Amino acid sequence: MKRSSVLKNKTIIVGCSSLGSTITNKFSIEGKNLMVVDKNPKNFERLSDRFSGYTITGDVSDLDVLEEAGIASAKEIVIVTNDDNLNLFVAHIARKIYDVPNIYIRLSEPDNEVLLKGMDIKAIYPLELSYDKFNLLRGGRK
Amino acid sequence: MRIVIANGNNGADYIIKSFKGHSHTLIIINDDRDVAHKLARNSKLPVIFGDCTKVETLKEAHIDGADIFIALGFRDTDNYVACLHARKEFGVKKCICIVQNPKNVEIFKELGIESVICSTESLLSSILAESSLEAITKTMSFENDKIVMSEIVVKPNAVIAHKRIMDINFPKEGSIACVYRRPRVIIPNGQTLILPKDKLFVLSTPSEQKSLIAFVQKTVKK
Repeated sequence: MKRSSVLKNKTIIVGCSSLGSTITNKFSIEGKNLMVVDKNPKNFERLSDRFSGYTITGDVSDLDVLEEAGIASAKEIVIVTNDDNLNLFVAHIARKIYDVPNIYIRLSEPDNEVLLKGMDIKAIYPLELSYDKFNLLRGGRK
Repeated sequence: MRIVIANGNNGADYIIKSFKGHSHTLIIINDDRDVAHKLARNSKLPVIFGDCTKVETLKEAHIDGADIFIALGFRDTDNYVACLHARKEFGVKKCICIVQNPKNVEIFKELGIESVICSTESLLSSILAESSLEAITKTMSFENDKIVMSEIVVKPNAVIAHKRIMDINFPKEGSIACVYRRPRVIIPNGQTLILPKDKLFVLSTPSEQKSLIAFVQKTVKK
């Protein structure tokens, strides 16, 4: 059962860690309609002065928190907590229950890619990216 | 049967004891070193220490084609991912998942985990099953108990669910005064469709109350 809403115009960022806050701060410059969720309110201190969106303190493993964040009216959701399992759970809810048009997820474990198969969820692997960049810098030496 | 018991502490210990010696093969995995030692000591079976949500741990445990995978961890999202990997990557036939948050029972099912158990929810249903009719339906009386109002919830498999009031042949001894369908209050007429989870407020005399409650709660036989 998909619970879709009429107007989808919101960007939700789940997890305000260094990656989440960096993305949020960049998006703030673009003037997006932003909602940031994190279970630790201290993490919101990472947000820049230009941030003009909303924040919610809560555990996103609880559907009520996602609903409060407006997942039903989200046009994109960026799920970047440090916990792969939590990220997968939220991404699956976003796709299968709310059918959010654009879903991005942070994963540390490449093995988890298989759980995104056929779901149109785009994954980023910060650790792999860092390693690739590092490898590039040192000229691909072994 | 080949049964995988992933995570959990005392619950895992109890399940292992219950299954052991019944010609089942038990595969025990735990992500807590102390608990893994305890389970191994108590069961005299090998226990794999590792993260059940990781493919490499499940590979090491050789869970391929197991009959049942039981995820007993304390974090709902970990249990969810462990069950998904077990089914998708290792072809486990049935996954049973424990959740702490009662709201996750329905969500996990919607996301494709067929068997989800929540101790809080089970506790609640036991209490409801144990308690008398009065506990399930709230009652209010008027005019010195000559009129009663019963608040009755429509079950998903109720005979009257998904039918219009004019078609359910509601007993003449009572009247549906109001239907509460979150977040709306509906003053019903014959055309009003009754849906599962609706709360019906039924007016009647006290002598007819019991039969009216039974009428609303009557379920479709399987």
